[in-house]
Amino acid sequence: MNAIIALSLFGISNLFLGFLNNRKILLPATLVFILIALGLNFADWNHEYYWFNNMLKTNNLSVNFVTIILLSTFLVVAISRSFGDDDEHSHPAEYYAILLFSAVGAIMMVTFENLIMLFVGLEILSVSMYVLTGSDKRSLRSNEAALKYFLMGSFATGILLFGVALVYGATSSFDIHGIAQGVAKAKEQMGGAYGPLLYSGVILIMVGLLFKISAAPFHFWTPDVYDGAPSIFTAFMSTVVKTAGVAATYRILSISFPSVYGLWGNPLVYIVCATLIIGNITAVYQQSFKRMLAYSSISHAGYLLITVLAKRPETNSSLLFYSLAYAIATITAFAVLMVVSEAQAKNGKADESFEALNGLANNNPLLAFSLTISMLSLAGIPLTAGFFGKFFVFSDAFSNPSSLFKWILVIAILMSTVGIYYYFKPIIAAYMKKGEVAKIELSPLYKFILILTTTLTILLGLAPDLVKNIF
Amino acid sequence: MNFWYFLTALTLLSASMVILSKNPIHSVLYLVFTFFCISGHYVLLNAQFLMAVNIVVYAGAIMVLFLFVIMMMDLSKNSPDSKSTLTKLAGAILGGTLLVILIAASRKVDLKDVKPIDAQTGMVEGLGQILYRDYVLPFELVSILFFVAMVGAVMLGKREAGERNF
Amino acid sequence: MEITSTLFTAKAIYVGIIFAITLGVAAYSTYFERIIAAFMQDRVGPDRAGPFGILQPLADAVKMFMKEDFIPANSNKWLFIAGPCLSMLTALMTSAVVPFGDQLDLGDGIILDLQGIDVNIGILWVFGIVSLGVYGVLIGGWASNNKYSLIGAIRAASQNISYELAMGLSIIAILMLSGSLSTKSIVETQQNGHWNILYQPLGFVIFLVCAFAECNRTPFDLPECETELIGGYHTEYSSMKLGFYLFSEYINMFISGAVMATLYFGGYDYLFNDYVAQISWLGEYAYNVSALLGLVVLIVKALIFVFIFMWVRWTLPRFRYDQLMGLGWTGLIPLAMFNVVLTGASMLFTVNDGGSNWMTVGASWAGVIIMLVVTFAYSEMKYKKKKLATA
Repeated sequence: MNAIIALSLFGISNLFLGFLNNRKILLPATLVFILIALGLNFADWNHEYYWFNNMLKTNNLSVNFVTIILLSTFLVVAISRSFGDDDEHSHPAEYYAILLFSAVGAIMMVTFENLIMLFVGLEILSVSMYVLTGSDKRSLRSNEAALKYFLMGSFATGILLFGVALVYGATSSFDIHGIAQGVAKAKEQMGGAYGPLLYSGVILIMVGLLFKISAAPFHFWTPDVYDGAPSIFTAFMSTVVKTAGVAATYRILSISFPSVYGLWGNPLVYIVCATLIIGNITAVYQQSFKRMLAYSSISHAGYLLITVLAKRPETNSSLLFYSLAYAIATITAFAVLMVVSEAQAKNGKADESFEALNGLANNNPLLAFSLTISMLSLAGIPLTAGFFGKFFVFSDAFSNPSSLFKWILVIAILMSTVGIYYYFKPIIAAYMKKGEVAKIELSPLYKFILILTTTLTILLGLAPDLVKNIF
Repeated sequence: MNFWYFLTALTLLSASMVILSKNPIHSVLYLVFTFFCISGHYVLLNAQFLMAVNIVVYAGAIMVLFLFVIMMMDLSKNSPDSKSTLTKLAGAILGGTLLVILIAASRKVDLKDVKPIDAQTGMVEGLGQILYRDYVLPFELVSILFFVAMVGAVMLGKREAGERNF
Repeated sequence: MEITSTLFTAKAIYVGIIFAITLGVAAYSTYFERIIAAFMQDRVGPDRAGPFGILQPLADAVKMFMKEDFIPANSNKWLFIAGPCLSMLTALMTSAVVPFGDQLDLGDGIILDLQGIDVNIGILWVFGIVSLGVYGVLIGGWASNNKYSLIGAIRAASQNISYELAMGLSIIAILMLSGSLSTKSIVETQQNGHWNILYQPLGFVIFLVCAFAECNRTPFDLPECETELIGGYHTEYSSMKLGFYLFSEYINMFISGAVMATLYFGGYDYLFNDYVAQISWLGEYAYNVSALLGLVVLIVKALIFVFIFMWVRWTLPRFRYDQLMGLGWTGLIPLAMFNVVLTGASMLFTVNDGGSNWMTVGASWAGVIIMLVVTFAYSEMKYKKKKLATA
């Protein structure tokens, strides 16, 4: 809650800082703002508290999620060096302010106790993303991506809202615990059956949320939007938005509708399988590194959703761990992609294909190493954070008594092996392929972030209990 | 009750005319008419404030901007239909299925728990109490949403040097 | 049942009277407009039809009806006809919630409110109808299939939307003072000389300017700017369809005058209402006489505003379009917000003061003074800068 208030104010102060004509101050100021918000967030540690007539609830779980969100925002902002200095026509203050505001929306989505809060949070996050996707006004692809995202996203929000209305009609409550009671009561009255309103409502809410985390078959916007948006905002989208979306899905399904598991669990099984298969298989055929990362984010949505399906108290921690590992690795990958694609730019257009990475290791060992670690982590190779993320998720699924999870597990493991194939493509390009990438000068902050994320990935891969115990 | 049926029929008719009419200007005007019908429903539910706000905001401001833009763009020329028959068919089947499910769902709704309407339900005072006491946090945070939208609109709408004009 | 049907008849008669008054005032506004223009420009003005040209509106109407009713080719026929009709409709609908007077006692316990409908969202009703007024212009301008008409229509739309915001914000201060959206209770809080103009001078100025803009009157008559747009949105219109557009403008003037009198000048209050209601020699009619006098007073107040509309028209030149938008967005809206904050703050501090609102009065007038100082300082600064630049 404190973080929400702080970030809202900081966003506005960021806009005022934009008047100063001194763009150097914006990046450090924004980083400090995020760190302050992160500090304030820990004030809620070990206090379970309901805010403002049960609108928000903070507890350790929410603090952990907020920490992951703010950490990802911090890392994304830290690698956003490009809009500060050279381009005199961009609007850095606005970008940073919107990023801070969207973090507010993401925090609302992981702490909400009332569906109105979920809706407002989701809208703040989505509207910020529509704007940032189209922020590269000179690029036709960015414009197209923004329009596509906006049109589809607003339909998805509309569907979510319709679902909320139907659930309200069925349970006469917006409060997520109130809904759980209403569901239980309705179930009692009807002798174990679900009301038809509830059925449609839950499905529609699920569709709206799954669209935001780009689970198949609601993923069609993802590749184009991720590809068209400026890389820095793609990094934000594939980490913060995804974490917040999965957390919100997990929260509402596990708190409001645990007693009607069959209602949402059965469709979700198919959605998870479809997401895993489509995301991984399609990623194999991509020529562009950025587009490959887009499909990889779809497949990771599938892994994350397994924890939602598994529906046990311990899955909290595996969800958190997976989100953290995924976010760090993805941001590292995007950090490398951004500098390399700009260095390899042709005709003023950044080259985002795998070929751009050819021979990266010769002159830029740090970049190549970070890239390798992040790819290994995303693929789930042992001794990286991603391995333990997958391990925890799979063991959750395995310990579930339902035989259905065995089949999900088989598909998930099969698809992980497919993943190894395409995650090795950039590594092979960087180390094996012939090519020349000139030495890329990195700012100290950029270097620090790369080293930090790489170290974190390895550290969590060696000693996952460091973090797992907190969660 | 008879008036309710009349109003509902009118709402549905004008709403379907929004998507059926070829001329976008006509679509917008039908949409305005639909908003009026919905405002009529609000009056029947004794929600006068919502009725007025619906007219001021939607019919009076947003739809004027819609008309404004459509008139400037002159969309009346018939553009060739870009969708293939298969897409249309798939869309029709999906939409029809959703419609059938929703109608079936609403037919089976059990209304015995619904509270009877009382005279103060839709009044401004009641609405203010709910909005500023129970839902004060979302109410305040919506300002962030509008702020983002405003900043974004200004940022995207500003013409810049070196920008291509499509 | 008997009572309701009598009341219904009485209400119908009342509505008919108000309708007739509105149309009559609008018709004679055209005459007075020309008389006033003639006076200001030292001319004679219309004097042919009847004594002092008093039958001029009749002659105009006959001319309007006799002219050829022309619909341009390739125009959208239905919308072309709908445009002026909508303008007229929205212009007439506003008066439904304006309380033209207090109550009339018709005997047998039948009390007639001198107000069309007393809804508890009265002022929002006015606002909603005003915001719809632009449709008539927009549709007519577009349906004419003429560039100039379209540009005029679009100007009208953007102008109306821009000034509606400042108008709404200036009303909010009034609503804070009266604590109700109903026009009737807004008037009732102003009885016996507690007129809102004393508490809200800044709000009134903003509202007045916005009312000019909403009625498309000079200096805001950009939509029909002859030098640039021929006739603006009604270039293609002739005969009574044109008459409807012109007529609706005059009706709007009268109604907005009545609304301003209601909101800021005490409505039907003329300081002696209670006194007149107790005059002994009028006996049981005293109350009704007082109410009817209130009706007359409100119409006089509205007519004074109509005169101000005309006075401004013949003294001020037209804005340029960017000036108009600049005034609306960067001038009036911040001022109106400032006014809301000022009113709120002063009410916060006088809340325990047993109903006396001197703090509000002081704050509001101080606000006006600050505004004037800032305006003058700013224009002085700009003038000096200009001088420096040219020197």
